[in-house]
Amino acid sequence: MARIRFTNVNKKYANGFHAVRDLNLDIEDREFIVLLGPSGCGKSTTLNMIAGLEEVSDGNLIFDEQVVNYVPPHKRDVAMVFQSYALYPHKTVYDNIGFGLRMRNVSKEEIDRRVRDAAQKLEISHLLDRRPSQLSGGQRQRVALGRAMVREPAVFLMDEPLSNLDAALRISMRAEIKELHRAMQTTFVYVTHDQAEALTLADRIVVMNDGVVQQIGTPDDIYERPANTFVASFLGSPPINYFDGVLEVGPDDRMSFIRDGLRLALPAAHAARLKGQDGRAVRLGIRAEDVAEGPAELEVNALSGTVNSVLPVGSDQYLGMDFGGEELFFRVGKDLRHAFGEEITLAVDLNRLHIFDRETGQSLIWNAV
Amino acid sequence: MTDMPNTPPADAIDYRRRQKIARIVQRLVIVVSAIVLAIYVLAPVSWLVSSAFQTEAEIVSIPPHWIPDEPTLRNFEAIFTAGDSEPVTYETRSGTDPAAGDFIPSTAKNLLPSMLNSLIVATLVVILNLLVGVPAAYAIAKIRFWGRNASVYFILITRVIPDIALVVPFFLVIRKLGMLDTLGSLVITYLAITVPFTVFIMIQYFEGLPDELDKAARVDGCSRLQALIKVFLPLSLPSLVAVVLFTFLASWNEFLLALMFTQTSASQTLPILLASFTSDFTVSFSFLNAAGVLAVVPPVIVAIVFERYIVSGLTAGAVKG
Ligand SMILES: Nc1ncnc2c1ncn2[C@@H]1O[C@H](COP(=O)(O)OP(=O)(O)O)[C@@H](O)[C@H]1O
Ligand SMILES: [Mg+2]
Repeated sequence: MARIRFTNVNKKYANGFHAVRDLNLDIEDREFIVLLGPSGCGKSTTLNMIAGLEEVSDGNLIFDEQVVNYVPPHKRDVAMVFQSYALYPHKTVYDNIGFGLRMRNVSKEEIDRRVRDAAQKLEISHLLDRRPSQLSGGQRQRVALGRAMVREPAVFLMDEPLSNLDAALRISMRAEIKELHRAMQTTFVYVTHDQAEALTLADRIVVMNDGVVQQIGTPDDIYERPANTFVASFLGSPPINYFDGVLEVGPDDRMSFIRDGLRLALPAAHAARLKGQDGRAVRLGIRAEDVAEGPAELEVNALSGTVNSVLPVGSDQYLGMDFGGEELFFRVGKDLRHAFGEEITLAVDLNRLHIFDRETGQSLIWNAV
Repeated sequence: MTDMPNTPPADAIDYRRRQKIARIVQRLVIVVSAIVLAIYVLAPVSWLVSSAFQTEAEIVSIPPHWIPDEPTLRNFEAIFTAGDSEPVTYETRSGTDPAAGDFIPSTAKNLLPSMLNSLIVATLVVILNLLVGVPAAYAIAKIRFWGRNASVYFILITRVIPDIALVVPFFLVIRKLGMLDTLGSLVITYLAITVPFTVFIMIQYFEGLPDELDKAARVDGCSRLQALIKVFLPLSLPSLVAVVLFTFLASWNEFLLALMFTQTSASQTLPILLASFTSDFTVSFSFLNAAGVLAVVPPVIVAIVFERYIVSGLTAGAVKG
C-alpha cells in the first residue's frame, strides 16, 4: 500500500538536460495512474525516479510519509515491468519470476508457491522450464508481468509494457492489466504514449510534454475538457481541428465564434465564462467526431466545405474536407456516401466546442490541471 | 501466348553450368588457402614437439626427420633431473660431446622453478585483472558518474604508450619499492599493462547489454554489486574467457619487463630462462626444444579448459530479450 507524492520535483541529467520540471503529483493509494505524452517528454524519467533508478535532483519524492529521495531501488517496495521486458536471458522462466523473491530471502516453499500461482494466473505454467529466448513476444510479456506480480509490491510500475506486442494482443492485455490492478489492490503507475491505452486503463491520466505536466485528470476530464491545445491535440484521432477567429456578441446578445465563412454560436455555459471577452482573438477546436451530417440550423452550427478525401477505417470513415484552403478531418459514420469534390455541410455539436487562448494555448472554458 | 520452349536455344549461355563451376572453384580456393594457413601455423609447433623427442644428432641431421627415428625421452629426463647433476663448468663441458646431446645448460636446474614462477605470476595477474577490471568496466558502462568519459580516455591512453617507453619508469618505481627480483614486481607491472585491456573489452560487452537488464535486477532487489555478480557476470562469460586467456598468455609470454626486474631463480620466469639457455657456451637444441614443449603445455591446458565456455558463451550472448 502506498501513496506517492511528488513535491516540486525536478530532474536534471548529468549532461545538464532538464528532463522533468516542477512536478507536483499526488498519487492515491491503489490508484491506477497513467503518465501519457510523446516520446522524450520525461515519462520514463518520472517512473525511474519512483523506482529509485534515477536520483531526484530537486524537490521531494514521498512514499506515504517518508521522503525516499535517497533510498536505493532494492530498499523500495516497488516492482517494474519494462518495455523490452528485460528478462534474464540466462535464467529459466521459473528463476526469472522467482529472482526478486530469492533476493529478498523468501523461503523456497513460499517462492515455489507464489511462482506457480502467478504462472497459473498468467497461463504460462507450461513454460516454467524454458529460457526467454524460447518464448514468443507475448509470452515474454507475461513472464515480465509475473516477475513483478509475485513480489506483491506496494507500487507496481510499468514502462510501455505493451508497445512491443501486436495490435490484437495489446488490446487483450489491456483487459488483463486492468484485472490485475483490481486483483492486486495496489498502486499502479503506468507509462505510455498510446492515448487509447491511457483512456482505457487509467483512474487518472497525467499528460506531460517537454518535462512539464500539462493536465492531470480522469480520462473524461482529459478528453472532454482539455486544459490546453497540447492536450486537445494529443488525444483523439484523427486529431482535433483548429480555427483561428474572434469572439463576437451579436445583436441577439448571443456570443459567437466568427471567422471567414464560419459563425458558430456558443452554448450558454461557455458564453457565461467568456463574458466581457467580446472581440478576443481565440482558437476554436472541434474534435473530429463532434460533427454530424444533419439538418444544420443555418448560421448557428453549420460548417461547409469540399470533400477532398474519404478514408474508410472499417467501423467508420475519415472525411477530409477543404475549408477555405485548410485541411480538416472528421470522423463520420460509414453509411454517409460522399464523392470527391462534393460540397457538404456538416452540423457541429456546439456543446463540445473547445476555445483556447491563441497565444498561450490555454483553454478559456476549462480550468487547467 | 505461345508455348514455352522446352530447351534453351543453342547459343544461350548455360548459367546453371557456370554456377556449378564457380562453386567448385570457390571451394577449391578455400580448401587450398586453409591448408596453406594450417601448414604455416602448425609446422613450427610440430617441429618443436618432434625435435623434443629426438637426440641432438638426429636434430641436426639433413634432411630433418619430422618423425623421430628413435624417439627418446632423454631430453625430458634431463630437465627433471637437472638439479641433481653436477654444475656445468668449463672443465666439465669439455668432457662432454655437444653433438651427442649430453650437454645441459648451466641454468637448466632453474627450469622447473621458473615455470612455477610463471604460473604464479600469470594466475595472480588473471585473478587480479578480473577483480579490478570487471567492476571498473561495469561502473563505467552502467553508472553515470562525473568524470566517466575522462576515465575511459585515461585508461585507453595508457595503451597507446609502447611498453618499452614504460620500462625505465617502471624500473625506477620498482627499485624504490625495493621489489627488484620479486614476483610482486612482475604482478604489479603486468597488471598495469593488462588491466586497461580488460576494462576496455568488458566495457564493450557491458554496454552491449541493455540498461533495462541492470534496472530490472536492481528493482528486483540487487545492489549494484549483486546485479554485477548475479546478472552481468553469467551473461559475460565469453568476454571473461577472452580476458582470462589474454591476460594469462600476456603474462606467461612477457619478456622485456621480466628481463629488467628479475635476476635470480627467485623471480625469473620461463621466457627469461629459456633465453638464458642460448647464452651458454654451447646451445643444446634438443634440450631447448623439450623445455619449449613444457612451456607450451600450460597455455594449451588453459585454452582447452576455457574453450567450451567461449563456444557456449557465444550462443548465450545471442539470447537477448
Ligand atoms: N541518462 C540520460 N542523460 C541525459 N538525458 C537523458 C537521459 N535519459 C533520458 N534523457 C533525456 O531525457 C528526456 C526524457 O527521457 P524519457 O524520460 O526517457 O522520455 P520518455 O517520455 O520517452 O520516456 C529525453 O529527451 C531523453 O533524451
Ligand atoms: Mg520512455
